[in-house]
Amino acid sequence: MMNQGVSTETIPPVDSGSLENHHVVDASQGQTSSYFPPTAGSDAISWTIHRADHNSTQNGTLPSSTSTYQYDYHTQPPTRNVQEGLNAASLPSSSSSLGTANVSQDYNGYASYPNSTDPYGYGSTGYPGYYNSYQQQQQQQQQSNQPSYQQQQFNHSSYQQQQPNHSSYQQQQPNHSSYQQQQPNHSSYQQQQSNHSYSQTVGAYQNTGAPYQPLSSFQNTGSYAGPASYSSTYYNPGDYQTAGGYPSSSYSNQNTLWNDANYTNYTTHQYSNYTPDTTAYSSGTTTAPSLHYQQQYKQWADYYSQTEVSCAPGTENMSVANTSNVGCPIPGVSGEYPASNTQTPPSYTPPSWRPESSSSELASVQPAAGISGANDGYWQHVAPSSQILHTSPMQPQSQKSLDPKTSYDIFQDQQQTAYSQVPNVQYPANNQVPQSYQSPVQTVPSLDTRRVSKLQIPTNPRIASNLTFGFPKTDKDSSTISAAAKPAYISVNVSPMPDEKVLSNSAADSILKPGMFPRSLRGYVERALARCKDDTEMTACQAVLKEMLTKATADGTLYTRDWDTEPLFPLPNADAVNKDSFQSSTPGSSLPKYKRSPSRRSKSRWEPLPEEKSVDKSASVVNNTVKYGGWTNPSERDRKLFMGNNESKENNFTAMKFSPLAQKNASKNIQRQVKKQRFADGLNAADNGDASSDSDKEQNLTAYYSSAIALANTPEERKRRESRSKRFEKGQGRPENNHFKPKNAGPGNLYSRRASALVLSKNFEDGGTRAVEDIDWDSLTVKGTCQEIEKRYLRLTSAPDPASVRPEEVLEKALDMVQNSQKNYLYKCDQLKSIRQDLTVQHIRNQLTVKVYETHARLALEVGDLPEYNQCQSQLKTLYAEGIEGCHMEFSAYNLLCVILHSNNYRELLSSMSRLSVEAKKDEAVKHALAVRGAVTSGNYVMFFRLYKTAPNLNTCLMDLYVEKMRYKAVSCMSRSYRPTIPVSYIAQVLGFTPATPRNEGIDEKDSDGLVECVDWLKAHGACFIADNHGDMQLDTKASCSSLFMPEPEDAVAHGDASLAVNDFLTRTSL
Amino acid sequence: MEEAYRRITEYLNRFSDAVSSQDGASLSSLLSLSSNHPFLLSLADSLILFQDASRVFKQSERFSQYSEIITHLFRSLQNYRLGNLVDAYQAFEKSANAFIQEFRNWESASAWALEALYVLAYEIRVLAERADRELTSNGKAPEKLKAAGSFLMKVFGVLAGKGPKRVGALYVTCQLFKVYFKLGTVHLCRSVIRSIETARIFDFEEFPKRDKVTYMYYTGRLEVFNENFPSADHKLSYALMHCNPRREANIRMILKYLIPVKLSMGILPKDWLLEKYNLVEYRDVVQALKRGDLRLLRHALQEHEDRFLRSGVYLVLEKLELQVYQRLVKKIYIIQKQKDPTKAHQVKLEVIVKALKWLEMDMDVDEVECIMAILIYKNLVKGYFAHKSKVVVLSKQDPFPKLNGKPIES
Repeated sequence: MMNQGVSTETIPPVDSGSLENHHVVDASQGQTSSYFPPTAGSDAISWTIHRADHNSTQNGTLPSSTSTYQYDYHTQPPTRNVQEGLNAASLPSSSSSLGTANVSQDYNGYASYPNSTDPYGYGSTGYPGYYNSYQQQQQQQQQSNQPSYQQQQFNHSSYQQQQPNHSSYQQQQPNHSSYQQQQPNHSSYQQQQSNHSYSQTVGAYQNTGAPYQPLSSFQNTGSYAGPASYSSTYYNPGDYQTAGGYPSSSYSNQNTLWNDANYTNYTTHQYSNYTPDTTAYSSGTTTAPSLHYQQQYKQWADYYSQTEVSCAPGTENMSVANTSNVGCPIPGVSGEYPASNTQTPPSYTPPSWRPESSSSELASVQPAAGISGANDGYWQHVAPSSQILHTSPMQPQSQKSLDPKTSYDIFQDQQQTAYSQVPNVQYPANNQVPQSYQSPVQTVPSLDTRRVSKLQIPTNPRIASNLTFGFPKTDKDSSTISAAAKPAYISVNVSPMPDEKVLSNSAADSILKPGMFPRSLRGYVERALARCKDDTEMTACQAVLKEMLTKATADGTLYTRDWDTEPLFPLPNADAVNKDSFQSSTPGSSLPKYKRSPSRRSKSRWEPLPEEKSVDKSASVVNNTVKYGGWTNPSERDRKLFMGNNESKENNFTAMKFSPLAQKNASKNIQRQVKKQRFADGLNAADNGDASSDSDKEQNLTAYYSSAIALANTPEERKRRESRSKRFEKGQGRPENNHFKPKNAGPGNLYSRRASALVLSKNFEDGGTRAVEDIDWDSLTVKGTCQEIEKRYLRLTSAPDPASVRPEEVLEKALDMVQNSQKNYLYKCDQLKSIRQDLTVQHIRNQLTVKVYETHARLALEVGDLPEYNQCQSQLKTLYAEGIEGCHMEFSAYNLLCVILHSNNYRELLSSMSRLSVEAKKDEAVKHALAVRGAVTSGNYVMFFRLYKTAPNLNTCLMDLYVEKMRYKAVSCMSRSYRPTIPVSYIAQVLGFTPATPRNEGIDEKDSDGLVECVDWLKAHGACFIADNHGDMQLDTKASCSSLFMPEPEDAVAHGDASLAVNDFLTRTSL
Repeated sequence: MEEAYRRITEYLNRFSDAVSSQDGASLSSLLSLSSNHPFLLSLADSLILFQDASRVFKQSERFSQYSEIITHLFRSLQNYRLGNLVDAYQAFEKSANAFIQEFRNWESASAWALEALYVLAYEIRVLAERADRELTSNGKAPEKLKAAGSFLMKVFGVLAGKGPKRVGALYVTCQLFKVYFKLGTVHLCRSVIRSIETARIFDFEEFPKRDKVTYMYYTGRLEVFNENFPSADHKLSYALMHCNPRREANIRMILKYLIPVKLSMGILPKDWLLEKYNLVEYRDVVQALKRGDLRLLRHALQEHEDRFLRSGVYLVLEKLELQVYQRLVKKIYIIQKQKDPTKAHQVKLEVIVKALKWLEMDMDVDEVECIMAILIYKNLVKGYFAHKSKVVVLSKQDPFPKLNGKPIES
């Protein structure tokens, strides 16, 4: 149901986007066509065809498109309508449409990536691992797989944003998102997928054994057909070589897809045919990998060294080019690829390139990190280049989404395996075709320039549309998912990222003057600007940035601030800008969703007030840096810890790492593996995040948001989740990091960092015993940045947002404000609760905390709000126990009184009395409380009301709550023991009705308020009066003795406290 | 080594002999860790020396069925000997768990192993207390006693059914009481008490006497907490009556609660009783009651406040104040009667105030008036109070009714 809703919503934006996308696609098509044909012989053909189809599909002719690959690409973006039509067409063609459909979707998403080489990395990482896990735990995996799908999809989406060409990608995203949602419902899922699937189905599904042949038809088909052979072929470099490096990569992607398909099939039960293949495949992979990998890695190292040579000469830009080159060669291993490169530049090559390069890098990067020491070397050289690549950022997002899920773990596990596989494939190709590299290098520079200067302007509108297009869907998905289950929050996480990253490269570069600002700051600006979809927004963004920077400069924090972790400010005037740029038919749906990403959440959760000033927000957001720094710190620490020990081992790393993997695959105890792996991955991720300072921000941000999304009631749980999610995103975030900031990261730094990260990861991998609990969670404590003094209390349902948490100084002001406020208790209570919340969230436990609780407790006492008071009291008890100074005596007196008067528990009273220290017993307030206790236990009403009048502090307030009872007891006692009468004036005086001092005035002042009150009270309690000779009112004790009763409290209210007026509630709701 | 091996096998033989001959006494002696029996101590030393003890009894078919019990018991013994009480406790609990399993099998016809089970229950409690002490000294949260509590609850479940085993239920209950009272989780006693008292299958009197006394002592204390004095009186008196007169420490413990209870019902102990059982802290209280000396009472309470608060009788004693007032008024009445019998039943308020002043109790008229009203209200004084003339008018018949074992009306 949710899916449907989502789909419908998404449609409008899709349409608008689709138009734009078409253009983009076209451009990309040109590129891609040139691209792919060279890369994969068989695939290339299909690819080209697809692209052509693409256009058609967008028009609605999708069914015709033979190549599933592209088809999915474009078809998905078009709204469901188109897809449905396609589906109809596709369905007939594919006998096992449902199962295939699933496959096809995945495949599509992946396929597109493989083309750009990104998919390669992703697919290989995610899917193979996935695949393995699948084999072991088919059932479990099914569930887990779905999440993984989502992640991958997200990756794609992020991809799209960054690259203009990727507009088609974006389209895919929506589909994926819907896909995710649909997953729960297989039926719906299948249908949607069927659209995609149908293209695939044509080729793939016909052959159960070799379903992939059409897709992977390149070289592998033969190998695929036989499951056993498949595994072997897969690993055989020779096969790949024949196909050409690129095909091999695509092949791997296909494999992954294939796995998914199997997977899905598995769920549907239709695809039993496939499962055997997969299992066989997995078995082959599991057993083989270790040996192969090492070798492969060595090859990698060689490869990298070669690439280095080529890369080295280039400056930053050059390095970028190199990286892209590197990436290209990897995917395109064969000589064909270079050719494509050369061709592409004239057309949209840059975008197309980027995806490829990024993808290639990703693939390489991940394996490197996870897998081998050899990779380290590679990294050193490559890393700078990889940073340049922008496509990578997307991955982190996907990672985030994955994080929450268990599947993710599997995914990662698989990734490792996948890595190993990938390298194999790529390797031979790379080695063979070193020459091809250089040619791509040349093209690259051109790309960069384009990006910076030209790309932005022309592409911006387009991108924007794409962005909106993609975003809304993802957002929706995420939202729906979140509502449904955990996975949702994952998806949500993803959404914020794309915004930031979209244009980061181009826009940021242009604006920033390198050298002027710290690298991290440049990265920050880039990110900030990357979110802008068009010029107007860009200018607005720049204005905000300028403001920020000047402020930072003035503060002197420009260089000290951790820009990497600095959260991005919300886009200024995003709404208007977006609308204009988007052209989207449904601005409402798309825009709000778009905006949702970082700032919106905080709004909705924290700020009930609808209108937020974006500028203000941004300021507050800026403050967040501190918090973010906090986030990164722990991981860094860890890293450092490990660095020292392990660097020497880097060389050994590959071997060590792989063996565990193999074991894991083999072992049946999957869960444990998963956990272990997850942990390791997370650590790796964290390390990586720290390692590359520039890209940290994104990760942090994503982490932050993901954490914010994750529901966590207890701080512990919250922390745990945060860290968990952070780990994951970071783990996948590596590639992103590398790609994201081309210019910023110095090679040396990256190198070392990477190495350390690797070491770290290895450590965790090896020492699987290290418990998650060992991580210093306290360092993850939120540090608030909100500067607003007034804040309403809202019970936390998720991790706290630093932007809405006030730091200690502000809280102090807030406390002052509350104390001096003239507003009613409800307001103050609300404010104090929010202060308390902020304190708790930030783990602030000091005198301020005590003061806040004391203030609140007093206020609560004043109005008789015992529940609230009790909360404060119990907190104060522990705070005092920690030795924090405060009004300890005052509150132990309150505590005593509370026990005596309201709990009436003999044992509790005894224990709290015996706990009183000697000094406490000398304290005035405590003495008073003890005296009250005595009066109460003995029923000494005279004493009680005397103490009532002389009560220090707020003891009166507590006694107030007991007065009624005491009076009643007293009067019934008097009416029993006095004869014949008692003057009411005496009662009024003794029972505290007389306002003034009791002894002298009370008796004679008959017209005093106390007397009237007393009479009223007595009457209300059924007392009988007679007048004596002087006309004085007398209580007829004998008559009253039997007539006294305790009336139902007239002012009883549902909420239990009459002192809280209804009007207060009314005013409160309107606040 | 040789010697160690010999000791271990000897223990194993003894254990298996005790089980096969259903000799509960010797079996329990083998389990009693805290008895510090030389045999056990030397065994512990042997175990420390002979690391691989489990190999010894695993070799023999004869011992293998007890391997679960003995493995952990040995480890416990070893740790106990080495002073690792926490580890010792943990191992002992495992061993005891295994023992219960076996116990279920043994206890078909007779309850020969009950004694061993008693030892087990006792040992686990004592060990837990010591382990907790170790934990606290290490700055950790004491939790073993709690664990022992839940283990004993399990044992209770084993015994609480029908059959001869039921005799042992009360012993375990008492161990549970000790645990709960120590932990301050007295409310947990309720469920155990209910199952003991509501079960009609087994007459309470059939339980062993020592268990009955212990049980009555603890339930009596609980009644004191609940301020249910007649019931507390009954239970504590039962405990006192059946307590072994030579166990003076136990008698003293019972009296510590029984005396305040009795006092609150107007029954004063003889001086020699307080002397004999070293309960001198009550002497002043009793004196105050006898003399109507409010000052003495307050002084006594203040002096022993800590002790009374800890034992939980403070509030009981504090309530004796009213009896002291009664005594005081009574004394005034008696004096007045000696002077002028006709007007004796009218006690002027100012006289009482003056008397209190002599006792250095600075109370004004209103306060004293209030107290008189309360005295009348609580039926400690018969009569009424005339507000206009500020006079307590006493009943001519029995103006100061004695409590005589009844609690003060509230």
